[in-house]
Amino acid sequence: MEEPKKPMGWKELYLKEDWWAIYLGLGIIVAAIAFFYGANPFLKSLSVLPPTWTDVGKLTEHFSTKIGWYVLQFIIWLTIFGISTRILGFKQSEYIPSFIFLYILSIITFIIGAYKPLKHWGFEAPLVALILGLLISNVVRLPKWMDSGFRVEYYIKTGIVLLGATLPFTLIVWAGPVAFLQATIISVTTCLTIYFVATKIFGLERQFGSVLGVGGAICGVSAAIAVGGAVKAKKEQVSIAIALVTVWAIIMIFFIPYFSKLLNLHPASVGAWVGSSEFADAAGFAAAVAYGNMVGNEEPAIRAFTLMKVIGRDIWLGIWSFLFAVISCVKWEKEEAGARPSASEIWWRFPKFVLGFFIASVIITIISSGYSLVEYNKIVKPELIKPIKSLRSWTFIFCFLSIGLTTRFRELAAAGKKPFWAFTIGVVVNAILGFVLSVLILGNYWIQKTTGIVF
Amino acid sequence: MRLTCLECVYFNNDPAWLEKVFPGLNALSSAYGTARGEAGICSKRDIYLSPVKKCRYFERINNSLTDSYKSRT
Repeated sequence: MEEPKKPMGWKELYLKEDWWAIYLGLGIIVAAIAFFYGANPFLKSLSVLPPTWTDVGKLTEHFSTKIGWYVLQFIIWLTIFGISTRILGFKQSEYIPSFIFLYILSIITFIIGAYKPLKHWGFEAPLVALILGLLISNVVRLPKWMDSGFRVEYYIKTGIVLLGATLPFTLIVWAGPVAFLQATIISVTTCLTIYFVATKIFGLERQFGSVLGVGGAICGVSAAIAVGGAVKAKKEQVSIAIALVTVWAIIMIFFIPYFSKLLNLHPASVGAWVGSSEFADAAGFAAAVAYGNMVGNEEPAIRAFTLMKVIGRDIWLGIWSFLFAVISCVKWEKEEAGARPSASEIWWRFPKFVLGFFIASVIITIISSGYSLVEYNKIVKPELIKPIKSLRSWTFIFCFLSIGLTTRFRELAAAGKKPFWAFTIGVVVNAILGFVLSVLILGNYWIQKTTGIVF
Repeated sequence: MRLTCLECVYFNNDPAWLEKVFPGLNALSSAYGTARGEAGICSKRDIYLSPVKKCRYFERINNSLTDSYKSRT
């Protein structure tokens, strides 16, 4: 007989991608700080990005002078992602060719997204990445093994840790509670709406209603698989929730930025709205970055989105999951002899990459506090923050492309009318409530908090 | 020792396998993240659950049975 398996416990320190995102993100930040204090421009040169262009000559010149840095950057990304994914269990014979493809596609995406005439139509790099990825995965049909390199969550989590370095910790402390309050009002309302429509009106099982509810209210697919496990949902119910979240998340990536552009909304309000009403971190960042780029002011959109989504919604996932586990155990399955859920689940299910985000924010806030405003803008911003931001842009593009490349609509589970309408009603309630709170009621608050701030 | 789903032949929580079983899971999330915990699928009851104390369908794992069973599912 095989030895009984033990719970993963602290082995998750190297077996879960959240921790790797922390190591990688904080590693980049520590390196950036070392190069900054050593007055070494290495990381600044390494964090190269294609420039905005109109004539091909400028672009050709850029690549002919910077090609060495692109190659070096590629080697470094491949090495660190390759080693970590190897430990996570991915075959390198699959990961390496897939990542090479992803990196080349990322450069193409940046080039298209940086073409000035296209920018006027709102075709920014995030949307270009998504459209390109969706076209390739749904028309060309790449081999399934290539998914090894399209790690949406790993890339976005790494990007979020890097994002912490551009967000003052004081802002998190001041605006975090408001973000939590707003996000909770919307999340609870949306979750209850979907749950009651699903169970009371359409007669779906309570477990199914709860998986759909959290999928639409908290953090999309991640919430669905966290709560699905806690309430012992049927396999097909989880599949349907994943399908519904994915389809609506993709729709919202396009709807919120273009609708907001129509109303000429401030990027901070839109960031807060996306943070309240998008379903997944990756999809939300795509929408927030896209709108920020559309209006030429990315940071307020990203800051408001991050506060709302990461601080307001993501970090409470473990508690939501635990609550549903308790309800399921005490109310829904009295006949079962299962053990009572343990409160330690709150910790084990906590999205750990958020810790890296906090640490990054604290580190950079402490460093920046030693500089005056003038020094910050003249020295810290271009020499320390900018390289981190550029590398963050790379992780975001890896993520946005991966969303498209892994979203194969034909493979998603057929939802059926009842779950579809239950979820869709929740989406409408969520979007309207998010708009009212983020734009109409707290719009000015988010604008004040996220614009013109320094560390 | 208290036995749980982790020792059961019907339970599979391998992240690569879960991403195949749930199409679209890796598009906006991941089976390799901490949010999933150690949840997996019980093929006997066709449910997705976090490992719990053994139920009446529990069958203890052994190498050969597990490999052949899991390769079929």
